[in-house]
Amino acid sequence: MAKIELSNISHTYNPNDTNPTYALNPFSMTWENGKRYAILGPSGCGKTTMLNIVSGLVKPSKGKILFDENDVTDLITEERNIAQVFQFPVIYNTMTVYDNLAFPLRCRNFTDQKIEDRVKSVSDTLRLSSFLNSPARKLTADQKQLISLGRGLVREDVAGVLMDEPLTVIDPDLKFRLRRNLKEINEQYKTTLVYVTHDQNEAMTFADNIIVMDQGEIVQVGLPKDLFEKPRTTFVGYFIGSPAMNLFNSEILSNNSIKFNNDTIKTKTDLSKIKDKNVKLGIRSEFIKIATDQKENIVSVKVTRVEDFGNFKLITGKAGDLEIKSKIEREIPISMEELKLHLPAEKCCIYSNEMLVN
Amino acid sequence: MEKLYKFLKYTFIILWTVFIVAPFLWAISTSFKDFQSVNSKVTYIPWLDFEPTLEGWRVLVKSPARGGVDIVEPYFNSLFVTCTASLISIVLGTLAAYALSRFTFKAGFVRNNDITFFFISQRIMPPIVLSIPFFIFLSTIGLLDSLIGLVVVYIVLLMPIAVWIMVDFFNRVPKELDETALIDGCNPYQAFYKVVLPNSIPGLIVAGMFCIIFGWIDFFFAFILTFTEVQLLPVKVVALNSSITPWWSLSASALISVAPLIIVAFVVERYLSKGNLSGALK
Repeated sequence: MAKIELSNISHTYNPNDTNPTYALNPFSMTWENGKRYAILGPSGCGKTTMLNIVSGLVKPSKGKILFDENDVTDLITEERNIAQVFQFPVIYNTMTVYDNLAFPLRCRNFTDQKIEDRVKSVSDTLRLSSFLNSPARKLTADQKQLISLGRGLVREDVAGVLMDEPLTVIDPDLKFRLRRNLKEINEQYKTTLVYVTHDQNEAMTFADNIIVMDQGEIVQVGLPKDLFEKPRTTFVGYFIGSPAMNLFNSEILSNNSIKFNNDTIKTKTDLSKIKDKNVKLGIRSEFIKIATDQKENIVSVKVTRVEDFGNFKLITGKAGDLEIKSKIEREIPISMEELKLHLPAEKCCIYSNEMLVN
Repeated sequence: MEKLYKFLKYTFIILWTVFIVAPFLWAISTSFKDFQSVNSKVTYIPWLDFEPTLEGWRVLVKSPARGGVDIVEPYFNSLFVTCTASLISIVLGTLAAYALSRFTFKAGFVRNNDITFFFISQRIMPPIVLSIPFFIFLSTIGLLDSLIGLVVVYIVLLMPIAVWIMVDFFNRVPKELDETALIDGCNPYQAFYKVVLPNSIPGLIVAGMFCIIFGWIDFFFAFILTFTEVQLLPVKVVALNSSITPWWSLSASALISVAPLIIVAFVVERYLSKGNLSGALK
């Protein structure tokens, strides 16, 4: 277990081109010992490249990687003592389940007794105990993925366990249990866990800290709550949450108010320093409610669609050209007509050039 | 419907079996005949149609001095050359194929695929093109008409087959398998022989089988590159023929020539027909 530091890392897969395209733009980051991190982002944003750089499968074009202050940039994978689990199960077909789980320990010359203890403990956690003597190739896909996971967890002294969408092939019920298991393992052994996913729910429920990436760039690092309430860019707002954050093109009217269709919306953000008058207003549909007795920040919309999701209703309405979505309790009756909605000033995020204005 | 299907299936299997086995039965029968039984009229069953004799077989082990054509020595020569060349080809070919599958090579305009094609092109070329270069090469290094010389030539002929089969095979083994082995603590060599190689046994078997077959049946180079010191089986079998075609000893030699391949086929069959060695890593 170790603190993992990435310092000024960047990577390109075509370094010899005159205009190399970067899979990862320069960034620095520290993963604290014993914490759980989720890397979240759309396909092809550089998540896997980042993991491969940490595990040593890919050498970064620039920058340094430190495990507990030790520079490991030039060490090969074998010498880094790190575990990585891939999206699809990788098992050693010719070995039994026991040998599969014992392999990482045997490679590092642990004693037979120690190996047996560790394999037993991990196989109990992952409920693989009854298969230990079967050939690994005979197992189902999700059991095979458990073996992959088990091989990652079997070493106690590992610097960190990197998981690249490890639960894709596992059915939802087991997924839920495994995520909880991983959390328990993390709390028990204080293993640093890094979890790549494109599923925000997975990230939110699993991690202490979420790293949102887009096009080789780290867009935001923070707690689930921060990502939800104060997305640092419009991309994060769009990517996190279901439905995506409401985003409207708008104009600054004064130091604390902006234009919304024909209404004025007040915000808690100080807008005095922004040069460009054109900004975007972002607000979560969860925070938009039907106006009761509020005086400010009321917009009237024409309801165009009401969708019942069982536990809530999603209203889509139009205010001029702007489409606005609001989540409300399903008990509230909605008619397809004019409706007054309240946008709380403290929940309104203002984006200038797609970046959040603080 | 089911019965009809079964009927057709078994009819086909029986016909096919007859088609495959008949020449062998014919050869076995002929190998026990003498001049009379072959040339007078068509005969099939020993003791009933003709009086069996071991003369056809005896000729093969008698020394030339006593009127025989000794094929025992060529037989073991062939075994030695084929096995040695196949083994070396498989070892070198597998290593080359692994490198071609996992690493990116660049030399001018030459890339991995070009190197692979270069290997395969050795087989695309008509063998006659290679005969003079090989002849000059072997005579220069003094290995003409020797077992070692033949082994060298056969390695050139067999390694492309091994490379070709194994490149394709390794390409289908996900590179995550190697990476997992590295992460689990193997160095790149251990990852290859502890993890990738055991998973590639079916590929090795197929490649080995092809090498053995092509090495064993080659007549052309065995004929051109040897004279008196060393002879290989195919050349000796052809040399059996004379003004009176000795069908009996030709049949006997055909049977013992094909015997090793039949044994290989039986040994290998159990590995190939089992799905567990199909190499899928899903």
